[in-house]
Amino acid sequence: MDNSHVALVSMLIRSGSFSPYRCDRNIALGINLSSLTKVLRACQPDDVLTLKAEDAPDVVNLVFESKTMDRISEYDIKLMDIDQEHLGIPETEYAATITMPTTEFQRICRDLSALSESVSIECAKDGVSFKCNGDIGSGSIQLRSHTDIDKPQNNVEIDLSEPVSLTFSLKYLVNFCKASGLSEQVKLCLSNEVPLLVEYGMPENSYLRFYLAPKIGDEE
Amino acid sequence: MPRTRSTKPANSPTEDDTSNIDTSTPKALSPSVSTPPKVFVLPKNTSPDARIATLSHPVNSTPSRYLIDPDLGFHEFTRITAPKSTPRSWLLVSDPPSPDSLDTTTPSPEPLNPAFITQNPDLFIATPLDALFLVLPALAPKSSRQAEKQLFLSFDDHLDTLYASSPHLRTLVSRHEPLKTRLERRMAACSDTVSAGPETMYRLSLPKLLSLLVKKAERMCSSPFPSSLETRFIKPALEVPVLSIKREESSVSIVAETSSTQVSSSETTTTATQSTVTESQTTTMDSQSTTLTTPDDDNLQSLSTPPTIPPLLRLQTCLNYLLSSYIPTSLHTPLRSLLSSPPPSVSVPNFEPLTTHLAAIAKLKSEALILRSISDNISRKRGFEDDEEKIAEREEKKRKREEEEKKKKTETRGVKQLRKVDTSGMKKLSSFFTRAAKKA
Repeated sequence: MDNSHVALVSMLIRSGSFSPYRCDRNIALGINLSSLTKVLRACQPDDVLTLKAEDAPDVVNLVFESKTMDRISEYDIKLMDIDQEHLGIPETEYAATITMPTTEFQRICRDLSALSESVSIECAKDGVSFKCNGDIGSGSIQLRSHTDIDKPQNNVEIDLSEPVSLTFSLKYLVNFCKASGLSEQVKLCLSNEVPLLVEYGMPENSYLRFYLAPKIGDEE
Repeated sequence: MPRTRSTKPANSPTEDDTSNIDTSTPKALSPSVSTPPKVFVLPKNTSPDARIATLSHPVNSTPSRYLIDPDLGFHEFTRITAPKSTPRSWLLVSDPPSPDSLDTTTPSPEPLNPAFITQNPDLFIATPLDALFLVLPALAPKSSRQAEKQLFLSFDDHLDTLYASSPHLRTLVSRHEPLKTRLERRMAACSDTVSAGPETMYRLSLPKLLSLLVKKAERMCSSPFPSSLETRFIKPALEVPVLSIKREESSVSIVAETSSTQVSSSETTTTATQSTVTESQTTTMDSQSTTLTTPDDDNLQSLSTPPTIPPLLRLQTCLNYLLSSYIPTSLHTPLRSLLSSPPPSVSVPNFEPLTTHLAAIAKLKSEALILRSISDNISRKRGFEDDEEKIAEREEKKRKREEEEKKKKTETRGVKQLRKVDTSGMKKLSSFFTRAAKKA
């Protein structure tokens, strides 16, 4: 969760994405993200990464093995006690699910964030519109369902059971878009009065999910 | 569903492993089973009629599991588990069938799960339990008013009270006569009986129960205590406070004064010249700088533990354990008062020396505390406990401040920018999602 507790990141990497994968006991490792980033910077693009933790560990161990050069680098990151409460996220049926190219979503967020702090996403039968209203003026982007047979990654799918209209902070969305490199398509799931789900799918059904609380009440 | 599950190789050796651990295959893991197998150690030669049943616990009447065997009687389960700091797992493998059994018998169906890995290495050991303890809740008076005029009741009436709280017992007892006779025998052991015609009537007799308990406790003490129990229960209780001896010259006179006021001084030449503490190590002496300090004789004697005390303490510890783990709470007070003033019919060990000795130790401990705080007041600026608490508090504050500063410094750019975002009108996520149950 972020500092203001309005956004949440959840990433699942299934065991199938690892080779090999071994886990004797469920265990929670509290790792400082900036420490992890520091260590991961030491990893070369083609290195094989091994993550290890013992029973009742003090550190998590990362090993980078270079396949081409006989080079093995090993790092230990000290663990921390995570006092943040863990929220259980129930499986929710969303009223609207939009699948679109990640680049498209990134572009929308970037363009609109130049105008305003927040965007209202309105899903209706004929399409989805992203609207914002700022000091210098207003902006609106309309998307309709679109099927590209040659390049399915460019598809825009809108799955709707009832119209939804919600407002979100653009700065958070722009940050979410930094995950665009992970996949070609992004899924936005919305229901009235519940947090927006932005999901970047990864191979083996793994995913990176962002949740963002909607702005309710005093909208601009 | 992960795609990999459907394409699992059929000949993988770990295929049937339903535990939550996989080996080196990078394929998806099968989910951990919701009811993992548990490991039990059961007594030898249990009859096929032995059952694990839920009976109400004698002390708090919560439903608990017991192993009931018509021939061997009642057994309670003791859970033995690895400490949290050193978690362990168990690999459970069924024995491979021996070759000759394969020849003679028709091929038995392959067991579904050839191996299991359990996450919680709990071992449940069935240990024999005196049926007396199970009977007691029925015999014990429900209220103090009832206790005054307790009635004699037939065995079946008492059993009915038991059945009301432990319905499993009814089925088992009605099916197996030995269990019933066992219960009746144990009930007779702790009750006054009156024969009314063909029937015998029972009423709880506290003196009988007490002598039974004392016998049990004596048997527990007959073998030496394990060292862990000894260090936990016996040693700390008998520990006499140690007063520090090394002091600066300035504080010596005060210490000497305090100790001399507290003990009635009768000079003993043997100890006055010593500069070390006596064997019992209770009073401070520093005869090099002053000859005032003098431990007196009776004080010394009461401080060394007489050899009769530890066995008594052990016995008392055992009795306390029996009371707290098997005897209904309503019986504790009457039993304890009976223990302190036993009727002549019951042979109860005399705990008098123990209580006086423990009281003496307690007194010494409090005296030592006073003495220490006095000397601390002089040698340091603040009181002993006060001091430590305050230091800890200050350190805690300092640590927090430093941590916060450090956090601010190491904050990433993204986090810093998000700090500026206007989150008004946005509810916290905790109002949408409930707290997850903590995973074990």
